[in-house]
Order: sequence, then C-alpha cells, then structure tokens
Amino acid sequence: MTRTYYNGLWICLHFQKLPIEIFTREKIAKPVVVTVKQRIVNINHSASVLGICIGNNLETAHMLADNLVCFERNEVKELAALKHLAQWAYQFTPKVSVKAPNSIQLEVRSSLKLFFGIKNIESKLRTGLKKMGFSAQVGIHKTPLAALAMAKGGKSKLKNIPVDKLDIEPQVIGELRKIGVSSLKDILDLPKSGITRRYGSSIVDYLERLLGEKPDPQIFISEQPNFSSEINFLSEITNIKSLLFPIRRLLYELYEFLISRQLAVNNFTFKLMHYKNPTRSFNIHITEPTSDISTFLLLSELHLEKISGVREIDSLKLTAHNFFPIPSLPRDLFHGTQFQQRNGQMTNSVEQEDRNRLFNMMNTRLGPHTYFQLFQEDDHRPEKAWSTIPKDKISGLQHDFTTINNRPMFLLNKPKKLKLRGNQPCLNGKLILLDGPERIDYGWWDYNINRDYYVARDEYTNSIYWIFHDQDHKDLKWFLHGIFS
Amino acid sequence: MDKLERLINETGLWQASNINCEFRKSLSSGYPLLDSHLTGSGWPEDGVTELLHNHYGIGELRLLAPALAYLSQQQSKAILMISPPFIPYPPALNACGINLKNLFIVQPGTLQDSLWVLEQALSSKGFGVVIAWPKKISDKQIRRLQVASKESNTWNILFRQIDVGTSPAELRIRLYAVNNDPHTNSSVHVKIVKQRGGWESDIFKINFTDNLNQKTLDFSKLSTNYSDHHNDANILQWPMDLSSFPKATD
Repeated sequence: MTRTYYNGLWICLHFQKLPIEIFTREKIAKPVVVTVKQRIVNINHSASVLGICIGNNLETAHMLADNLVCFERNEVKELAALKHLAQWAYQFTPKVSVKAPNSIQLEVRSSLKLFFGIKNIESKLRTGLKKMGFSAQVGIHKTPLAALAMAKGGKSKLKNIPVDKLDIEPQVIGELRKIGVSSLKDILDLPKSGITRRYGSSIVDYLERLLGEKPDPQIFISEQPNFSSEINFLSEITNIKSLLFPIRRLLYELYEFLISRQLAVNNFTFKLMHYKNPTRSFNIHITEPTSDISTFLLLSELHLEKISGVREIDSLKLTAHNFFPIPSLPRDLFHGTQFQQRNGQMTNSVEQEDRNRLFNMMNTRLGPHTYFQLFQEDDHRPEKAWSTIPKDKISGLQHDFTTINNRPMFLLNKPKKLKLRGNQPCLNGKLILLDGPERIDYGWWDYNINRDYYVARDEYTNSIYWIFHDQDHKDLKWFLHGIFS
Repeated sequence: MDKLERLINETGLWQASNINCEFRKSLSSGYPLLDSHLTGSGWPEDGVTELLHNHYGIGELRLLAPALAYLSQQQSKAILMISPPFIPYPPALNACGINLKNLFIVQPGTLQDSLWVLEQALSSKGFGVVIAWPKKISDKQIRRLQVASKESNTWNILFRQIDVGTSPAELRIRLYAVNNDPHTNSSVHVKIVKQRGGWESDIFKINFTDNLNQKTLDFSKLSTNYSDHHNDANILQWPMDLSSFPKATD
C-alpha cells in the first residue's frame, strides 16, 4: 500500500490572462493584445470577439481590428502583480506560495473553520479578484500539483484532465498521444515501470507528487508588513485643526504596530477623504527610520499646519509600507555622555538624535534640500575647490589639504566685476592690493581659468577682499571673488 | 515683587547689582586680549551674542574661528549656519581647523522660515553653536532666542548691522574695521557694548595671526588700461541679496 502525503487542501489560482490584465485592470472595451516579438501571446475578450487568436502576428491583428491596443509583454510586472496577489491572498491562509509565471497556491485546510468552508473561501477569492480587476481559474484538490492541473484543465474530475494540461514535456505529450493516451486516467492505467523506461523518471516523479504519493514541499511567502488604518467620521469635519485628535489615534496605532513587530518606518502617508471631493494626501518623510511616537506626532502636526483648502473630510486614513528593523543603537548607559570612538571622533548619540529631529522638522516644513554640508574638493580653481553634499555624507576626515596661501572665509558664488577708477579697481573705495599675485592657471580639460589673485583692502571700509585680475581677457577685467570675513 | 521675580526667572533679565555672583562656563576665544575683557574669560557657552558690524570682510568670522575650531574639533559639537550671506569657503574653514563634518548649513527660503529654524535649532539641544545673519529681527524674538539658548545650553551668534539700536542679547560686541599700517598683521577693533555680569569696554584692537596685511603692492607697476565700467555699486552693504547662494544638490 502506497503511503499518501495529502493531508492538505489546496486551492490554485491560475491567472491565464495575467499578461494582459496587468495592463487592463480598468475596464477597457477596446481590443487589447500582448505581444512577444510581434507575435500575439495574450488577448482580451473584445479582441477574441473580433477573431484575433493567440499565435497570430501583429499585422493580422491590425487588419482585424483598427482600434487595437497592443502592449509588449512585461514579465517583471507580471511577477510583481503575482506577488502582490499572493500578499493579498495571505488574508485567507498563512500558507501561500507563488508559482511563476502565473499561479498562486493556497493551502486552506486550517482556514476552513474560520471562513465557513471551502465554497466560501472560493467565492471570497473570486469576488476579491474581480474587484481588483483580475480573473483567475480556480482549482481545488489535495495536492498543489493536482490543484494546478484542475485549474488549468477545467474538468470536474482530476482523472479526466487531458494530458496537455499537465506539466509534462511537450515531446512526451506527443508520444503519449500517439499511443492513444489522452487523459490522466489513461496514463495511470499504464504500468509505472513501463512509463519510466519509455519516458524517463521525471514524468513518474511528477505523477507521484500529483497524486500525493510523494511529498511536494512548497516555499511559502513571508508576510510583508503593511500598515493601513482608517477612521471614518460620523459627521463631516470642516475644521482641519480638529483632525489632530484622530491623527494622534492613528499614529498611536502605527506605533503599537511597529513596537509589536520591532520595526521602524521612515515614511507614512495620511489620506484625507471625502465622498464628493478628491482625496487629499500628505506624506511624511523622516531622515532615519524610527518608531518614536513623539517624532510622528511632531512632524504630522507641523505638516497639518501647512495644509489649506480642505473643505470637508469624512474619513482619514494612515498607511505605511516601508518598514525597517528597529536600529539597534547602543544606548548610553550614562545618558548624554560622550565616548571616544575608534576613529578618534567624539560622538554623542543624544545630540545626534536631537539634531536628526530638527532635520526632520526642516524636511517637513522647508522641503528636503534646504540643508546640507560643505566639502573641500581637490581642485586649484577656487570655485571648484568646494561642494555641497547632503547631510551626513561626508566620508572620512578632511585633513589632507595643506593651505599655503590665504583663502577667504566667504566666497562669492559668482565673481563680481569691479568698477575701475583710474586704473585701480574699487568697490566702496579704492582697493589697495596687499598680497599677490597668486597665479591660478588650471583646468584646460574642463574650463580653463587664468587669473592673478590678490588680497586687497578697501580704502573706504577697510574690508579685506580677495580679488582677481583675469589674464585671459585683454581689457584687463578685475573681479571680486572672496571676502576675508 | 512676585511679578518682577517671575520676569527675572522667565525672561533671563539680569540686574547689574547681581553680577559676578554665578559661576559661568566659558570658551576661550583664542585671543588673550579679548578673553581678558569678557566675563568668564572667554565666549559664553550659551545665550545670544550679537556681533555688530557695518561691512563684511573686517574679520568678523576670523574673530570666531578659533572658538569654532575648538568646538567642532575637540568637543565634536555641531555648528549650524542659517542663511550665510555668502558661501562659507571650505578651504578657509579647513585651514583654520573647523571640522566640516560638524558644520551644517541651512538655507530657508524666507525670513520667517529662517527665524523658525533659528528658534527650533536653539531649542533642539543638538548643536553647540547656531550662527545666523538675520536681516530683520525684533527684540521680542531675540528674547525668545535668549531663553531657548539658555535652556538648551546652545550658543547663539547673530551678525547684525552696527546701528540696530538696543537689544536684549546678553553679549553685544561692536566690530570696527582698522586701517592698518602695511607690514603688520590685519586686525579689528572691538568694543564690548554690553555683557552679562560685566561692563562696557573701551575699544581695543585684536590682531589676527594671518599675514593678510603683510605686503602692499603698487598698482602703477601693473600694466592696466584705463576703462570704466558701470557696475552695481557698493554690493557689499546690508542687506545682502541671498539669491546668489546655491541650493544644495544631491
């Protein structure tokens, strides 16, 4: 007696039209085809009504339908859609596996009680998929492969499924047909040893797994955390300030969600909805992933102040999608003390946290690129010797630069042309040259400068400036470039 | 009486009769003469310090540089500059020892936003020094900054025009440019107008250690042609146009 391994109950969702449905989730009446190398591989209903068949080439299809919409097949998107569907199906059972290119398998035995039976689960799956704009063939059986075959075969009994719907190599199917085998029942009537001898062991292995005589382990998807919570208001809210309380409630839910999973977020979105008006949403971005409720509250309140022009709101929704494991920062035993790090730098994690909080607030109120740090570049051209970089991107210490000559504390973004009085440049008063010239002639590969730099003092204000004399221009122009502040 | 006490406690008002009665932490300015004039023998570690001057380029930043270098390098404190009028030039900052890793710049678009950042930065406790060049700031706002910087132990430096009148800042220093003799170090005249726990000072001269003023060149030896350009005059007077400063890019 052969031992059977089926104690499960499998539902297979087979998305035959997935290549086309990833493009046509909105109902389209036009004929749509999906092609690979000019050959049609998938069609929608209106295309098939017009007589377009899978396997036709694109010219034929264009002849049959003049308003044809065609897409090149996108397998990356298909897989993404399939994974999304698998995550969606996770609500029915924790045992969901993705079978590329176009199937999902769910083991539902343990969920039968919760959902009141297999029929209920099936209808829930069907209506849910329909709502999302996908259509699937559903097969139910005791093993994953059998469920898949049922979904593909569309027969009520496993034994009646034609051989070409089974996962057998096309060549073998051809040979089986030649000896009069047309359905699964016919194969099973043949002696196993004979099949192995004729067609190899892989087909027998497949059949054993199909029938549950051999174990067929599956890789199940893992849960992708996803936070979404909504508050519906009984009466419409017209004053934006009164949203503060529900926002706090939602953020507290998010906080509990994160803490229970030991996760942190750096991004979440609020949606302000009203059944008549278009949905307004605002996104809050945090520099470092965090699970700190006070940061959430602070930034949300800041953002709420900026919102204007919202008239009525009947529901508020908070969603978060990107999660990070909680950063395991070593906490100071002595709160706020400084420790010398290996690189000789003193750090103070409390100060850094406070700083990050300020940068988050600036992000929210002023937009993302208002703050930055400075960096010294290795270039002789004064305007190329520096750059701005986003916060905390400075790598390593900048000790290598040896400055021989004086450089001003302030540099003008663009050199200012100076007036001339007599043959002497002047700003507020005449400029008296103190030091120089320092010839900087550099950068032929990029843009060349050829300048004589001087340190100069303004006779009137006594300010000290960094000016240059452009050597490339024969009319001898003087420019102001820096200020010795 | 109660009211007065509350006012003293909450607003940071102080009485001249109570001076020198508290221990103050301070930070050497790097210039012994300046230290000797400041109470606590150095820059304060908190509160609002106003540096009042008429023109850029008289040494107003060079005066601060040793203290900023010490804070950013040895103490690893962060420096925040809010809307500097020009590019703080990294080669010069590096040369005077300021750790660029601990220097942050923020360029808010409006005056209102920069005042907001200023106050938030002072109350955040994340910075050692916050330096700003406010074009316009009221006494009431300075008083708020004063309270915030005291609470968070953050030093706030405001560069302001010399003729702004009185202000509630704890330390106010006027800087005057010096018409140096050639072949000496460059220098700046300093007058402490007001300081907590101390008195007004006379004008004294701080010499810089740089060699900016060492030589004087003669224009007549340069072969220049006579030409007169009609250009924007006196561009370096207050208030500055900040639009020339670039936005940060990724």
